[in-house]
Amino acid sequence: MSNLRQAFADKMLSVGADDPRLVVMVGDISHGILKPFAAEYPQRYYNVGICEPTIVGMAAGIASTGLVPVAHTIAPFLIERSFEQIKLDFAYQQLAGNFITVGGAFDYAQLGCSHHCYNDIALMCQLDNTVVTSPASDYEFSELFSQCYDQGTINYFKLTENPHNVDFTGQVELGKAIVVEQGHDLTLLAVGPQLKQALSAYENLTAQGHSIELIYIHTIKPFDAPTVINSIAKTKAIIVCEELSEHGGVYDVVMRHWASRDKAQFKQLAIKEMIHDYGTYEQLCQVAGLTDKHISDHAITMLENKKA
Amino acid sequence: MNQDLRKRIAEIIYQAKEGHIPSSYSIVDIINHLYTSVLSYDSNNPTWEKRDYFILSKGHGCAALWVVLEKLNLLPERALEQYSQFGGILGGHPDRTKVPFVEASTGSLGHGMPMAVGCALAHKITGNDNKVFCLVGDGECHEGTIWESAHVAANRNLNNLTVIVDWNQSAAQLCPTDDLPAKWRSFGWHTVVFDGHDQTQIEAAFNENDAQAPTVLIAKNVKGKGVSMTEGHGPWHHKIPSKEELEHILEALS
Repeated sequence: MSNLRQAFADKMLSVGADDPRLVVMVGDISHGILKPFAAEYPQRYYNVGICEPTIVGMAAGIASTGLVPVAHTIAPFLIERSFEQIKLDFAYQQLAGNFITVGGAFDYAQLGCSHHCYNDIALMCQLDNTVVTSPASDYEFSELFSQCYDQGTINYFKLTENPHNVDFTGQVELGKAIVVEQGHDLTLLAVGPQLKQALSAYENLTAQGHSIELIYIHTIKPFDAPTVINSIAKTKAIIVCEELSEHGGVYDVVMRHWASRDKAQFKQLAIKEMIHDYGTYEQLCQVAGLTDKHISDHAITMLENKKA
Repeated sequence: MNQDLRKRIAEIIYQAKEGHIPSSYSIVDIINHLYTSVLSYDSNNPTWEKRDYFILSKGHGCAALWVVLEKLNLLPERALEQYSQFGGILGGHPDRTKVPFVEASTGSLGHGMPMAVGCALAHKITGNDNKVFCLVGDGECHEGTIWESAHVAANRNLNNLTVIVDWNQSAAQLCPTDDLPAKWRSFGWHTVVFDGHDQTQIEAAFNENDAQAPTVLIAKNVKGKGVSMTEGHGPWHHKIPSKEELEHILEALS
Protein backbone atom coordinates (compact mmCIF):
# COMPACT_ATOMS: atom_id res chain seq x y z
CA MET A 1 0.00 0.00 0.00
CA SER A 2 1.20 3.53 -0.77
CA ASN A 3 0.41 6.63 1.22
CA LEU A 4 -2.70 8.49 0.22
CA ARG A 5 -1.01 11.57 -1.13
CA GLN A 6 0.99 9.42 -3.52
CA ALA A 7 -2.20 7.53 -4.34
CA PHE A 8 -3.78 10.87 -5.26
CA ALA A 9 -0.91 11.69 -7.63
CA ASP A 10 -1.01 8.23 -9.17
CA LYS A 11 -4.76 8.42 -9.65
CA MET A 12 -4.57 11.78 -11.40
CA LEU A 13 -2.06 10.29 -13.81
CA SER A 14 -4.17 7.25 -14.59
CA VAL A 15 -7.51 9.07 -14.85
CA GLY A 16 -5.91 11.92 -16.76
CA ALA A 17 -4.68 9.47 -19.37
CA ASP A 18 -8.21 8.34 -20.13
CA ASP A 19 -10.11 11.57 -19.55
CA PRO A 20 -8.85 14.71 -21.30
CA ARG A 21 -11.33 16.79 -19.31
CA LEU A 22 -9.44 16.32 -16.04
CA VAL A 23 -7.69 19.51 -14.87
CA VAL A 24 -5.59 19.44 -11.68
CA MET A 25 -5.01 22.62 -9.68
CA VAL A 26 -2.90 22.77 -6.52
CA GLY A 27 -2.12 25.44 -3.98
CA ASP A 28 1.65 25.04 -3.99
CA ILE A 29 1.72 21.60 -2.37
CA SER A 30 2.24 18.11 -3.76
CA HIS A 31 3.94 19.51 -6.85
CA GLY A 32 6.80 17.07 -6.45
CA ILE A 33 4.69 13.95 -6.61
CA LEU A 34 2.55 15.47 -9.37
CA LYS A 35 5.55 15.94 -11.65
CA PRO A 36 4.62 12.91 -13.79
CA PHE A 37 1.13 14.35 -14.36
CA ALA A 38 2.55 17.81 -15.03
CA ALA A 39 5.06 16.40 -17.50
CA GLU A 40 2.48 14.32 -19.31
CA TYR A 41 -0.31 16.92 -19.33
CA PRO A 42 1.21 20.37 -18.90
CA GLN A 43 -1.96 22.05 -20.22
CA ARG A 44 -4.01 20.37 -17.51
CA TYR A 45 -1.82 20.95 -14.46
CA TYR A 46 -1.64 24.24 -12.59
CA ASN A 47 0.23 25.08 -9.44
CA VAL A 48 -1.90 28.17 -9.08
CA GLY A 49 -0.23 29.51 -5.96
CA ILE A 50 -1.26 30.18 -2.41
CA CYS A 51 -4.66 31.70 -3.12
CA GLU A 52 -7.15 29.03 -2.19
CA PRO A 53 -10.43 30.96 -2.67
CA THR A 54 -9.25 31.93 -6.13
CA ILE A 55 -8.35 28.33 -6.91
CA VAL A 56 -11.89 27.30 -6.04
CA GLY A 57 -13.42 30.13 -8.06
CA MET A 58 -11.22 29.28 -11.02
CA ALA A 59 -12.19 25.64 -10.68
CA ALA A 60 -15.83 26.68 -10.96
CA GLY A 61 -15.06 28.64 -14.12
CA ILE A 62 -13.28 25.61 -15.52
CA ALA A 63 -16.24 23.41 -14.60
CA SER A 64 -18.64 25.81 -16.32
CA THR A 65 -17.00 25.01 -19.66
CA GLY A 66 -17.46 21.26 -19.28
CA LEU A 67 -14.03 20.31 -17.94
CA VAL A 68 -13.59 18.35 -14.70
CA PRO A 69 -11.57 20.27 -12.10
CA VAL A 70 -9.63 18.83 -9.20
CA ALA A 71 -8.55 21.32 -6.52
CA HIS A 72 -5.98 20.17 -4.00
CA THR A 73 -4.26 21.57 -0.94
CA ILE A 74 -4.31 21.33 2.86
CA ALA A 75 -7.80 20.81 4.30
CA PRO A 76 -8.36 24.01 6.34
CA PHE A 77 -7.25 26.23 3.49
CA LEU A 78 -9.26 24.55 0.76
CA ILE A 79 -12.47 23.89 2.68
CA GLU A 80 -12.73 26.26 5.64
CA ARG A 81 -10.96 29.29 4.17
CA SER A 82 -12.65 28.89 0.79
CA PHE A 83 -16.03 27.70 1.98
CA GLU A 84 -17.98 30.59 0.53
CA GLN A 85 -16.45 29.86 -2.87
CA ILE A 86 -17.46 26.21 -2.61
CA LYS A 87 -20.93 27.23 -1.44
CA LEU A 88 -21.61 29.91 -4.05
CA ASP A 89 -19.38 29.05 -6.98
CA PHE A 90 -20.18 25.34 -6.96
CA ALA A 91 -23.29 24.47 -4.93
CA TYR A 92 -25.39 27.56 -5.72
CA GLN A 93 -24.37 27.49 -9.36
CA GLN A 94 -24.95 23.75 -9.67
CA LEU A 95 -21.44 23.10 -10.92
CA ALA A 96 -19.47 19.93 -10.30
CA GLY A 97 -15.90 19.39 -9.20
CA ASN A 98 -13.50 17.56 -6.94
CA PHE A 99 -11.81 18.74 -3.76
CA ILE A 100 -8.98 16.61 -2.42
CA THR A 101 -7.24 17.61 0.79
CA VAL A 102 -4.41 16.37 2.92
CA GLY A 103 -3.75 16.94 6.59
CA GLY A 104 -6.67 14.97 7.96
CA ALA A 105 -7.87 16.38 11.26
CA PHE A 106 -4.45 16.88 12.84
CA ASP A 107 -1.93 15.01 10.70
CA TYR A 108 0.24 18.13 10.85
CA ALA A 109 0.53 17.40 14.54
CA GLN A 110 3.59 19.57 15.07
CA LEU A 111 2.27 22.63 13.27
CA GLY A 112 -0.60 23.72 15.45
CA CYS A 113 -4.26 24.57 14.95
CA SER A 114 -3.78 26.60 11.78
CA HIS A 115 -3.14 23.33 9.95
CA HIS A 116 -5.80 21.29 11.74
CA CYS A 117 -9.24 20.73 10.25
CA TYR A 118 -12.10 19.29 12.27
CA ASN A 119 -15.09 20.92 10.56
CA ASP A 120 -14.59 20.25 6.86
CA ILE A 121 -16.79 17.16 6.73
CA ALA A 122 -19.66 18.93 8.48
CA LEU A 123 -19.33 21.96 6.22
CA MET A 124 -19.28 19.96 3.02
CA CYS A 125 -22.26 17.89 4.12
CA GLN A 126 -24.31 21.09 4.46
CA LEU A 127 -24.19 21.84 0.75
CA ASP A 128 -26.47 20.63 -2.02
CA ASN A 129 -25.22 17.90 -4.34
CA THR A 130 -22.13 16.98 -2.32
CA VAL A 131 -20.44 13.62 -1.91
CA VAL A 132 -18.28 13.56 1.22
CA THR A 133 -15.66 10.91 1.86
CA SER A 134 -12.84 10.18 4.26
CA PRO A 135 -10.82 7.41 2.60
CA ALA A 136 -8.07 5.94 4.74
CA SER A 137 -6.29 3.68 2.27
CA ASP A 138 -4.90 4.19 -1.20
CA TYR A 139 -7.28 1.60 -2.59
CA GLU A 140 -10.32 3.31 -1.07
CA PHE A 141 -9.37 6.68 -2.52
CA SER A 142 -8.80 5.19 -5.94
CA GLU A 143 -12.11 3.36 -5.92
CA LEU A 144 -14.16 6.24 -4.54
CA PHE A 145 -12.65 8.74 -6.96
CA SER A 146 -13.40 6.50 -9.92
CA GLN A 147 -16.98 6.08 -8.78
CA CYS A 148 -17.89 9.76 -8.56
CA TYR A 149 -15.32 12.19 -9.98
CA ASP A 150 -17.30 12.98 -13.14
CA GLN A 151 -20.84 12.21 -12.03
CA GLY A 152 -22.02 15.81 -11.75
CA THR A 153 -21.54 16.05 -8.00
CA ILE A 154 -19.31 18.14 -5.75
CA ASN A 155 -16.94 15.55 -4.36
CA TYR A 156 -14.82 15.89 -1.25
CA PHE A 157 -12.00 13.49 -0.41
CA LYS A 158 -10.41 14.10 3.00
CA LEU A 159 -7.14 12.20 2.79
CA THR A 160 -5.18 11.08 5.82
CA GLU A 161 -1.53 10.37 6.43
CA ASN A 162 -2.53 7.67 8.89
CA PRO A 163 -4.06 4.86 6.84
CA HIS A 164 -5.71 1.94 8.58
CA ASN A 165 -3.76 -0.63 6.52
CA VAL A 166 -6.76 -2.92 6.09
CA ASP A 167 -7.22 -4.53 2.71
CA PHE A 168 -10.77 -3.88 1.52
CA THR A 169 -10.19 -4.99 -2.05
CA GLY A 170 -13.50 -5.51 -3.79
CA GLN A 171 -15.53 -4.09 -0.89
CA VAL A 172 -15.40 -0.33 -1.45
CA GLU A 173 -18.61 1.11 -2.82
CA LEU A 174 -19.47 4.80 -2.60
CA GLY A 175 -22.11 5.38 0.06
CA LYS A 176 -21.83 1.89 1.52
CA ALA A 177 -20.50 1.08 4.97
CA ILE A 178 -18.28 -1.96 5.44
CA VAL A 179 -19.16 -4.40 8.19
CA VAL A 180 -15.64 -5.40 9.18
CA GLU A 181 -16.66 -7.74 11.98
CA GLN A 182 -20.06 -8.96 13.08
CA GLY A 183 -21.19 -9.01 16.70
CA HIS A 184 -24.22 -8.49 18.91
CA ASP A 185 -23.21 -6.71 22.15
CA LEU A 186 -22.02 -3.33 20.93
CA THR A 187 -21.35 -1.50 17.65
CA LEU A 188 -18.10 0.32 17.00
CA LEU A 189 -18.50 2.77 14.13
CA ALA A 190 -15.14 4.01 12.86
CA VAL A 191 -14.72 6.85 10.38
CA GLY A 192 -11.64 6.99 8.14
CA PRO A 193 -8.33 6.74 10.03
CA GLN A 194 -10.07 5.89 13.31
CA LEU A 195 -10.48 2.36 12.00
CA LYS A 196 -6.95 1.57 13.17
CA GLN A 197 -7.78 2.46 16.78
CA ALA A 198 -11.17 0.80 16.58
CA LEU A 199 -9.63 -2.43 15.32
CA SER A 200 -7.20 -2.45 18.22
CA ALA A 201 -10.07 -1.84 20.62
CA TYR A 202 -12.08 -4.57 18.90
CA GLU A 203 -9.29 -7.09 19.50
CA ASN A 204 -9.01 -6.07 23.14
CA LEU A 205 -12.76 -6.32 23.71
CA THR A 206 -13.21 -9.63 21.93
CA ALA A 207 -10.28 -11.03 23.90
CA GLN A 208 -12.35 -10.24 26.98
CA GLY A 209 -15.23 -12.23 25.56
CA HIS A 210 -17.41 -9.44 24.21
CA SER A 211 -19.19 -9.69 20.89
CA ILE A 212 -18.45 -6.47 19.01
CA GLU A 213 -19.76 -5.37 15.62
CA LEU A 214 -17.20 -3.20 13.83
CA ILE A 215 -18.45 -0.99 11.01
CA TYR A 216 -16.24 1.16 8.86
CA ILE A 217 -17.41 4.40 7.22
CA HIS A 218 -15.49 5.88 4.28
CA THR A 219 -18.46 7.79 2.84
CA ILE A 220 -20.24 10.20 5.13
CA LYS A 221 -22.59 11.56 2.45
CA PRO A 222 -24.50 9.71 1.15
CA PHE A 223 -24.66 7.86 4.44
CA ASP A 224 -25.38 4.16 4.65
CA ALA A 225 -28.08 4.52 7.27
CA PRO A 226 -29.64 1.05 6.86
CA THR A 227 -26.41 -0.77 7.74
CA VAL A 228 -25.82 1.38 10.81
CA ILE A 229 -29.42 1.42 12.00
CA ASN A 230 -29.73 -2.35 11.63
CA SER A 231 -26.59 -2.77 13.70
CA ILE A 232 -27.82 -0.50 16.51
CA ALA A 233 -31.16 -2.28 16.47
CA LYS A 234 -29.23 -5.48 17.12
CA THR A 235 -26.64 -4.30 19.67
CA LYS A 236 -28.56 -1.42 21.32
CA ALA A 237 -25.22 0.31 21.91
CA ILE A 238 -22.92 2.23 19.63
CA ILE A 239 -19.70 4.19 19.88
CA VAL A 240 -18.91 6.53 17.00
CA CYS A 241 -15.19 7.18 16.59
CA GLU A 242 -14.44 10.19 14.39
CA GLU A 243 -11.48 12.54 14.04
CA LEU A 244 -13.89 15.42 13.54
CA SER A 245 -15.54 18.09 15.63
CA GLU A 246 -18.17 16.73 17.96
CA HIS A 247 -20.54 19.16 16.23
CA GLY A 248 -22.02 18.14 12.91
CA GLY A 249 -20.08 14.94 12.37
CA VAL A 250 -21.04 11.32 11.83
CA TYR A 251 -22.50 10.94 15.33
CA ASP A 252 -25.10 13.59 14.46
CA VAL A 253 -25.94 11.75 11.25
CA VAL A 254 -26.43 8.51 13.17
CA MET A 255 -28.65 10.19 15.75
CA ARG A 256 -30.77 11.82 13.05
CA HIS A 257 -31.40 8.46 11.44
CA TRP A 258 -32.07 6.71 14.75
CA ALA A 259 -34.44 9.40 16.05
CA SER A 260 -37.70 8.14 17.61
CA ARG A 261 -36.59 4.52 17.53
CA ASP A 262 -36.08 2.26 20.57
CA LYS A 263 -33.88 3.13 23.49
CA ALA A 264 -30.19 2.48 22.94
CA GLN A 265 -26.85 3.69 24.29
CA PHE A 266 -24.90 6.21 22.23
CA LYS A 267 -21.40 7.51 22.73
CA GLN A 268 -19.41 9.88 20.56
CA LEU A 269 -15.62 10.01 20.58
CA ALA A 270 -14.71 13.18 18.72
CA ILE A 271 -12.80 16.43 19.03
CA LYS A 272 -14.35 18.70 21.62
CA GLU A 273 -12.16 21.78 21.30
CA MET A 274 -9.18 23.13 19.38
CA ILE A 275 -6.03 21.16 20.15
CA HIS A 276 -3.25 23.50 21.22
CA ASP A 277 -0.69 20.73 21.75
CA TYR A 278 2.18 19.67 19.52
CA GLY A 279 3.66 16.23 19.03
CA THR A 280 2.86 13.12 17.06
CA TYR A 281 -0.46 12.11 15.54
CA GLU A 282 -0.74 9.46 18.24
CA GLN A 283 -0.13 12.00 20.98
CA LEU A 284 -2.86 14.28 19.64
CA CYS A 285 -5.20 11.30 19.46
CA GLN A 286 -4.46 10.86 23.14
CA VAL A 287 -5.29 14.52 23.84
CA ALA A 288 -8.51 14.27 21.86
CA GLY A 289 -9.61 11.05 23.53
CA LEU A 290 -9.38 9.09 20.31
CA THR A 291 -7.13 6.12 21.19
CA ASP A 292 -7.91 2.43 21.29
CA LYS A 293 -7.87 2.62 25.08
CA HIS A 294 -10.47 5.40 25.13
CA ILE A 295 -12.66 3.30 22.85
CA SER A 296 -12.22 0.15 24.96
CA ASP A 297 -12.88 1.95 28.23
CA HIS A 298 -16.10 3.53 26.97
CA ALA A 299 -17.17 0.21 25.49
CA ILE A 300 -16.66 -1.60 28.79
CA THR A 301 -18.73 1.05 30.58
CA MET A 302 -21.56 0.74 28.07
CA LEU A 303 -21.47 -3.04 28.19
CA GLU A 304 -21.71 -2.95 31.99
CA ASN A 305 -24.63 -0.51 31.71
CA LYS A 306 -26.41 -2.98 29.47
CA LYS A 307 -26.17 -5.64 32.16
CA ALA A 308 -27.41 -3.29 34.89
CA MET B 1 -27.18 58.00 -23.94
CA ASN B 2 -29.32 54.91 -23.52
CA GLN B 3 -32.08 56.96 -21.93
CA ASP B 4 -34.70 54.34 -22.74
CA LEU B 5 -32.71 51.64 -20.96
CA ARG B 6 -32.37 53.90 -17.94
CA LYS B 7 -36.10 54.58 -17.94
CA ARG B 8 -36.80 50.86 -18.07
CA ILE B 9 -34.43 50.25 -15.15
CA ALA B 10 -36.29 52.79 -13.05
CA GLU B 11 -39.65 51.31 -14.02
CA ILE B 12 -38.80 47.71 -13.14
CA ILE B 13 -37.17 48.70 -9.86
CA TYR B 14 -40.14 50.86 -8.93
CA GLN B 15 -42.51 48.04 -9.81
CA ALA B 16 -40.60 45.34 -7.94
CA LYS B 17 -39.56 47.58 -5.02
CA GLU B 18 -36.07 46.12 -5.38
CA GLY B 19 -32.91 47.05 -7.21
CA HIS B 20 -29.86 49.30 -7.34
CA ILE B 21 -30.57 52.21 -9.68
CA PRO B 22 -27.24 54.10 -9.39
CA SER B 23 -25.12 50.96 -9.82
CA SER B 24 -27.16 49.98 -12.86
CA TYR B 25 -26.98 53.46 -14.42
CA SER B 26 -23.22 53.38 -13.93
CA ILE B 27 -22.74 50.30 -16.12
CA VAL B 28 -25.70 50.18 -18.50
CA ASP B 29 -23.88 51.92 -21.35
CA ILE B 30 -21.06 49.37 -21.21
CA ILE B 31 -23.37 46.35 -20.94
CA ASN B 32 -25.41 47.62 -23.85
CA HIS B 33 -22.27 47.97 -25.95
CA LEU B 34 -21.07 44.49 -24.96
CA TYR B 35 -24.26 42.78 -26.09
CA THR B 36 -24.81 44.89 -29.21
CA SER B 37 -21.25 45.13 -30.55
CA VAL B 38 -18.74 42.91 -28.75
CA LEU B 39 -20.00 39.53 -27.59
CA SER B 40 -20.49 36.62 -29.97
CA TYR B 41 -23.60 34.64 -29.08
CA ASP B 42 -26.44 32.74 -30.67
CA SER B 43 -29.77 34.30 -29.75
CA ASN B 44 -31.45 30.94 -30.10
CA ASN B 45 -28.86 28.91 -28.20
CA PRO B 46 -27.57 30.43 -24.94
CA THR B 47 -25.09 27.57 -24.50
CA TRP B 48 -23.64 27.77 -28.03
CA GLU B 49 -20.16 26.34 -27.60
CA LYS B 50 -18.45 29.14 -29.51
CA ARG B 51 -20.06 31.94 -27.52
CA ASP B 52 -18.17 34.60 -25.63
CA TYR B 53 -18.73 34.72 -21.89
CA PHE B 54 -19.83 37.75 -19.91
CA ILE B 55 -19.80 37.59 -16.12
CA LEU B 56 -21.33 40.44 -14.15
CA SER B 57 -19.26 40.11 -11.01
CA LYS B 58 -20.91 43.14 -9.38
CA GLY B 59 -24.21 41.33 -9.53
CA HIS B 60 -26.23 44.03 -7.78
CA GLY B 61 -26.10 46.09 -10.97
CA CYS B 62 -28.07 43.40 -12.80
CA ALA B 63 -31.08 45.60 -13.62
CA ALA B 64 -28.82 47.01 -16.34
CA LEU B 65 -28.26 43.50 -17.64
CA TRP B 66 -31.94 42.61 -17.53
CA VAL B 67 -33.05 45.60 -19.60
CA VAL B 68 -30.35 44.99 -22.21
CA LEU B 69 -31.26 41.31 -22.50
CA GLU B 70 -34.92 42.31 -22.78
CA LYS B 71 -34.19 44.83 -25.52
CA LEU B 72 -32.39 42.15 -27.52
CA ASN B 73 -35.15 39.57 -26.96
CA LEU B 74 -32.78 37.31 -25.05
CA LEU B 75 -35.10 36.82 -22.09
CA PRO B 76 -38.18 34.62 -21.94
CA GLU B 77 -41.24 36.62 -22.87
CA ARG B 78 -42.54 38.85 -20.07
CA ALA B 79 -39.82 37.69 -17.69
CA LEU B 80 -39.25 41.22 -16.45
CA GLU B 81 -42.85 41.47 -15.30
CA GLN B 82 -41.85 39.13 -12.49
CA TYR B 83 -38.52 40.77 -11.71
CA SER B 84 -37.67 40.04 -8.06
CA GLN B 85 -41.11 38.47 -7.55
CA PHE B 86 -42.01 34.97 -6.42
CA GLY B 87 -42.02 32.61 -9.37
CA GLY B 88 -39.83 34.87 -11.51
CA ILE B 89 -36.39 34.02 -12.85
CA LEU B 90 -34.87 37.49 -12.57
CA GLY B 91 -33.76 38.52 -9.12
CA GLY B 92 -31.73 41.24 -7.49
CA HIS B 93 -28.63 39.25 -8.42
CA PRO B 94 -28.12 36.99 -11.46
CA ASP B 95 -28.68 33.24 -11.15
CA ARG B 96 -27.11 31.14 -13.90
CA THR B 97 -29.41 28.23 -13.13
CA LYS B 98 -32.45 30.31 -14.05
CA VAL B 99 -31.56 32.93 -16.62
CA PRO B 100 -30.38 32.20 -20.17
CA PHE B 101 -27.18 34.01 -21.16
CA VAL B 102 -26.13 34.41 -17.52
CA GLU B 103 -22.80 32.62 -17.11
CA ALA B 104 -22.32 33.06 -13.37
CA SER B 105 -24.46 33.54 -10.30
CA THR B 106 -23.03 36.51 -8.46
CA GLY B 107 -23.93 38.66 -5.51
CA SER B 108 -21.18 38.12 -2.99
CA LEU B 109 -18.49 40.40 -4.39
CA GLY B 110 -15.15 39.00 -5.51
CA HIS B 111 -16.55 35.75 -6.88
CA GLY B 112 -17.15 36.49 -10.55
CA MET B 113 -13.62 37.39 -11.49
CA PRO B 114 -11.88 34.19 -10.33
CA MET B 115 -14.56 32.29 -12.20
CA ALA B 116 -13.84 34.36 -15.29
CA VAL B 117 -10.13 33.60 -14.94
CA GLY B 118 -10.91 29.89 -14.70
CA CYS B 119 -13.22 30.14 -17.68
CA ALA B 120 -10.55 31.90 -19.76
CA LEU B 121 -7.97 29.33 -18.69
CA ALA B 122 -10.34 26.52 -19.69
CA HIS B 123 -10.62 27.93 -23.20
CA LYS B 124 -6.84 28.04 -23.41
CA ILE B 125 -6.73 24.40 -22.30
CA THR B 126 -9.20 23.30 -24.94
CA GLY B 127 -7.71 25.57 -27.61
CA ASN B 128 -10.97 27.37 -28.28
CA ASP B 129 -11.23 31.02 -29.30
CA ASN B 130 -14.01 32.02 -26.91
CA LYS B 131 -13.41 35.32 -25.17
CA VAL B 132 -14.29 36.05 -21.58
CA PHE B 133 -15.46 39.42 -20.22
CA CYS B 134 -16.02 40.25 -16.58
CA LEU B 135 -17.33 43.47 -15.05
CA VAL B 136 -16.27 44.29 -11.49
CA GLY B 137 -16.91 47.30 -9.28
CA ASP B 138 -14.22 49.55 -7.90
CA GLY B 139 -15.53 48.87 -4.41
CA GLU B 140 -15.37 45.19 -5.29
CA CYS B 141 -11.67 45.70 -5.89
CA HIS B 142 -11.33 45.79 -2.10
CA GLU B 143 -11.83 42.03 -2.21
CA GLY B 144 -8.64 40.01 -2.04
CA THR B 145 -9.80 37.53 -4.65
CA ILE B 146 -9.76 40.29 -7.29
CA TRP B 147 -6.03 40.70 -6.85
CA GLU B 148 -5.34 37.00 -6.34
CA SER B 149 -7.02 36.23 -9.63
CA ALA B 150 -5.52 39.28 -11.38
CA HIS B 151 -2.09 37.98 -10.41
CA VAL B 152 -2.88 34.49 -11.72
CA ALA B 153 -4.41 35.74 -14.98
CA ALA B 154 -1.38 37.88 -15.82
CA ASN B 155 1.04 35.09 -15.04
CA ARG B 156 -0.95 32.70 -17.23
CA ASN B 157 -0.98 35.21 -20.13
CA LEU B 158 -4.75 35.05 -20.43
CA ASN B 159 -5.09 37.37 -23.39
CA ASN B 160 -8.59 36.03 -23.98
CA LEU B 161 -9.80 37.76 -20.81
CA THR B 162 -11.04 41.33 -20.51
CA VAL B 163 -12.05 42.79 -17.16
CA ILE B 164 -14.04 46.01 -17.01
CA VAL B 165 -13.80 48.02 -13.80
CA ASP B 166 -16.73 50.27 -12.97
CA TRP B 167 -14.52 53.06 -11.57
CA ASN B 168 -17.28 55.25 -10.21
CA GLN B 169 -15.44 56.35 -7.10
CA SER B 170 -17.39 54.18 -4.69
CA ALA B 171 -14.13 52.79 -3.33
CA ALA B 172 -12.61 56.23 -2.92
CA GLN B 173 -15.21 57.12 -0.33
CA LEU B 174 -13.57 54.62 1.99
CA CYS B 175 -9.98 54.47 0.77
CA PRO B 176 -9.01 57.80 -0.78
CA THR B 177 -5.84 56.41 -2.37
CA ASP B 178 -7.65 55.63 -5.58
CA ASP B 179 -4.90 54.50 -7.97
CA LEU B 180 -6.64 51.62 -9.71
CA PRO B 181 -4.93 52.08 -13.11
CA ALA B 182 -1.49 51.95 -11.50
CA LYS B 183 -2.46 48.88 -9.50
CA TRP B 184 -3.68 46.96 -12.54
CA ARG B 185 -0.62 47.96 -14.57
CA SER B 186 1.63 46.80 -11.76
CA PHE B 187 -0.11 43.43 -11.88
CA GLY B 188 0.88 43.09 -15.53
CA TRP B 189 -2.43 43.87 -17.21
CA HIS B 190 -2.85 45.82 -20.44
CA THR B 191 -4.61 48.77 -18.86
CA VAL B 192 -6.94 51.20 -20.61
CA VAL B 193 -8.73 54.11 -18.94
CA PHE B 194 -11.77 55.56 -20.67
CA ASP B 195 -15.07 57.36 -20.18
CA GLY B 196 -17.65 54.61 -19.72
CA HIS B 197 -20.51 56.87 -20.76
CA ASP B 198 -19.01 58.09 -24.04
CA GLN B 199 -19.86 55.81 -26.94
CA THR B 200 -16.80 56.72 -28.97
CA GLN B 201 -14.48 56.03 -26.06
CA ILE B 202 -16.33 52.82 -25.21
CA GLU B 203 -15.86 51.54 -28.74
CA ALA B 204 -12.18 52.45 -28.72
CA ALA B 205 -11.64 50.78 -25.36
CA PHE B 206 -13.19 47.51 -26.46
CA ASN B 207 -10.94 47.45 -29.51
CA GLU B 208 -7.92 47.32 -27.22
CA ASN B 209 -6.13 44.04 -26.66
CA ASP B 210 -2.70 42.65 -26.02
CA ALA B 211 -0.95 39.66 -27.52
CA GLN B 212 0.21 38.37 -24.16
CA ALA B 213 -1.53 40.02 -21.27
CA PRO B 214 -5.13 40.15 -20.13
CA THR B 215 -6.79 43.52 -20.65
CA VAL B 216 -8.48 45.69 -18.06
CA LEU B 217 -10.75 48.50 -19.18
CA ILE B 218 -11.09 50.98 -16.34
CA ALA B 219 -14.27 52.95 -16.92
CA LYS B 220 -14.47 56.41 -15.43
CA ASN B 221 -18.15 56.10 -14.67
CA VAL B 222 -20.62 58.16 -12.72
CA LYS B 223 -22.73 56.30 -10.22
CA GLY B 224 -26.36 57.02 -11.03
CA LYS B 225 -25.40 58.57 -14.37
CA GLY B 226 -28.22 60.22 -16.27
CA VAL B 227 -30.38 61.74 -13.53
CA SER B 228 -28.90 64.36 -11.23
CA MET B 229 -31.02 63.16 -8.33
CA THR B 230 -29.51 59.66 -8.44
CA GLU B 231 -25.93 60.62 -9.25
CA GLY B 232 -23.14 60.35 -6.71
CA HIS B 233 -22.91 58.46 -3.46
CA GLY B 234 -25.89 59.70 -1.52
CA PRO B 235 -28.93 57.78 -0.33
CA TRP B 236 -29.87 56.26 -3.68
CA HIS B 237 -27.59 53.21 -3.64
CA HIS B 238 -30.41 50.81 -2.75
CA LYS B 239 -33.29 53.26 -2.57
CA ILE B 240 -36.60 52.54 -4.28
CA PRO B 241 -38.19 55.60 -5.87
CA SER B 242 -41.63 56.80 -4.82
CA LYS B 243 -44.21 57.39 -7.55
CA GLU B 244 -43.29 61.05 -7.63
CA GLU B 245 -39.57 60.27 -7.75
CA LEU B 246 -40.13 57.79 -10.58
CA GLU B 247 -41.96 60.46 -12.54
CA HIS B 248 -39.08 62.84 -11.89
CA ILE B 249 -36.55 60.23 -13.12
CA LEU B 250 -38.54 59.51 -16.25
CA GLU B 251 -38.97 63.21 -16.95
CA ALA B 252 -35.25 63.85 -16.46
CA LEU B 253 -34.46 61.10 -18.95
CA SER B 254 -36.86 62.43 -21.58
